[in-house]
Amino acid sequence: MARLNDDAQWIVLMGFIVSFSLFFLGIVINQSTVVGQTTAEGVLEFPKNDILDIRSEVLQSSKITVAADFDDVKKDISSIALSRKNAIVSFGVTQAPPGSTYTKIIDIHYNNGVTAYNETANY
Amino acid sequence: MVNSEGQLFTIEGIAAGLIMLLTAFIVVSTTSIYTPGDTHISDMQLEQLGSDALRMMNTPNTSADSAESALQSIIKNNDTDRFRETFLWFCNNKTGGAYDILQFSTDVYYRKTLTTSVNRFHFTESRKPTGGEHAVRVTEWVQVDNTILAGGSMPAEVDNRVQAVLVEVLLWRD
Repeated sequence: MARLNDDAQWIVLMGFIVSFSLFFLGIVINQSTVVGQTTAEGVLEFPKNDILDIRSEVLQSSKITVAADFDDVKKDISSIALSRKNAIVSFGVTQAPPGSTYTKIIDIHYNNGVTAYNETANY
Repeated sequence: MVNSEGQLFTIEGIAAGLIMLLTAFIVVSTTSIYTPGDTHISDMQLEQLGSDALRMMNTPNTSADSAESALQSIIKNNDTDRFRETFLWFCNNKTGGAYDILQFSTDVYYRKTLTTSVNRFHFTESRKPTGGEHAVRVTEWVQVDNTILAGGSMPAEVDNRVQAVLVEVLLWRD
């Protein structure tokens, strides 16, 4: 080593390299637990069932033919979702252009402050 | 300093000290594995089970536009007995052995046009909740034709019109 003698410098260098690589492996293991935590939080916060449920209800509502009934249902969904689910839901149904495979184009917007979901469905 | 010898030793010593400190820090912080999902996994399973049961009840038998799901006609006719039977049957059924011991309590939320407020009426339950249950909340949107013409017989305070209501179920394992 320093000034004692200059032998075995390769061995010392290899020792450094090995210890540094062990150090980095340690960091990798350390980070893996953090990854697990953020993933678990993401899964818990994602309102999968709410979105699926809203979506199926909106698609079902699009079949209503009476305009007044449709407006009522639209207001029902918006106000109940806001009061019970803390989510802002709005949707609209327009007729698909003539010659299209689908009959309706449905816009769905969902936002609960954490998750936003927007969809344009051809139905 | 007395003299300037051994400088490289000093630098090595500092580097080694830093590496040891960092290693100790990483080891200590690694052992405290914290997953917030741990305690909620059984809740999530119960929630999924309840959601699936309600989804099954709210699926019509045919894809015809006029087809009504079981849940739709239950809410429309205020058929609490049928809801209790079907829901408990779906939730407590197992592939073998004894039935599960899930209990529930159901409320229905609706909007009143006159007051534009969201109100609720109690629908049915399998057992009165004492407040000590560890319950999860599952919900299902149901579209009900509560017009007199369609024979809607929801409780009197609910508007007689086509509407979307939210069925909320508190579900717990006894």
